[in-house]
Amino acid sequence: MRELIGNKWLVVLFRLIVGITFLYASLDKIAHPDQFARVVYNYKILPGFLINLFAITLPWMELFCGLFLILGLVVESSSLLISLLLISFIIALSVNFLRGIDLACGCFTTDPNAKKEGAQLLIRDFVLLLMSLQILFFNRDVLSLQKIFQKK
Amino acid sequence: MFLQAIFIVFFSLILGVIYNSISKEGITVKGNWSKKVVSDSLIVPYSYSKDDPPAISLGQAMTYFQTHNTIFLDARLEPDYKAGHIARALNLPFEEFEQYYPKVEPLLSRDKNVIIYCDGTECEASLFLARLLKTKGFENLKIFFGGWTEWNKAGLPVKKSN
Repeated sequence: MRELIGNKWLVVLFRLIVGITFLYASLDKIAHPDQFARVVYNYKILPGFLINLFAITLPWMELFCGLFLILGLVVESSSLLISLLLISFIIALSVNFLRGIDLACGCFTTDPNAKKEGAQLLIRDFVLLLMSLQILFFNRDVLSLQKIFQKK
Repeated sequence: MFLQAIFIVFFSLILGVIYNSISKEGITVKGNWSKKVVSDSLIVPYSYSKDDPPAISLGQAMTYFQTHNTIFLDARLEPDYKAGHIARALNLPFEEFEQYYPKVEPLLSRDKNVIIYCDGTECEASLFLARLLKTKGFENLKIFFGGWTEWNKAGLPVKKSN
């Protein structure tokens, strides 16, 4: 079982899935910081003075970590950061799920659609977290730039 | 590994701030997201500006409620409206404006006062709906930011429709 979960090619596959997801997610946020800052505000977790700084920094972290996972550079650090990010997303989503806040508008709602979307996001983040943890624990630098650098 | 991770965070912070300062879409690093307190009874969201339709307090909303020349508009989604709204209020969800507006428009009148509200001071749907209606030629718009939360708490006339 352990061999199956820790399969080196599975690590490569997960690196690509998680890497591309984060890279793709970061681009729109970098292009539209004002919209992303509003999303962060809607979560109503961070204090006001930190919202914009967070909205400016987070997309670049996602971009670098995603890129590093795809290329196979500093894979452990990148997957560690991505895991931490995903854990904080899951906590933030759950808190608002329990509060009953519709994150699309940051307001309280009983709309079942908002609940359904929240649940889907939670499942998506949880699956990504499992992949990211698998990378963190089982990475062996297959198909990675890191290995090429080390050989030289 | 941890040192590398800290480095990535630090590098992202620096690059993010640099990119943000040169980008046309850039935002201020220290944003202002706090609510504005106009008076003891009137709090408005940070995004409310002087050019927006006037904001009214709970007391003023009550006064308008007693006059017949007033229509209340609920800017929340239909399930929230159905779960409970200000009595006689019509539902025009901001998020689904295009879908609801044709149905609601015949019931509105440009001569009457239109009071728009949503959930409460945390909610901006009322503000955004007011801005939209302003572009449609409505002039007698008012925003009641205290919204459903304040109205319901005060024990004023409400209606549920299921």
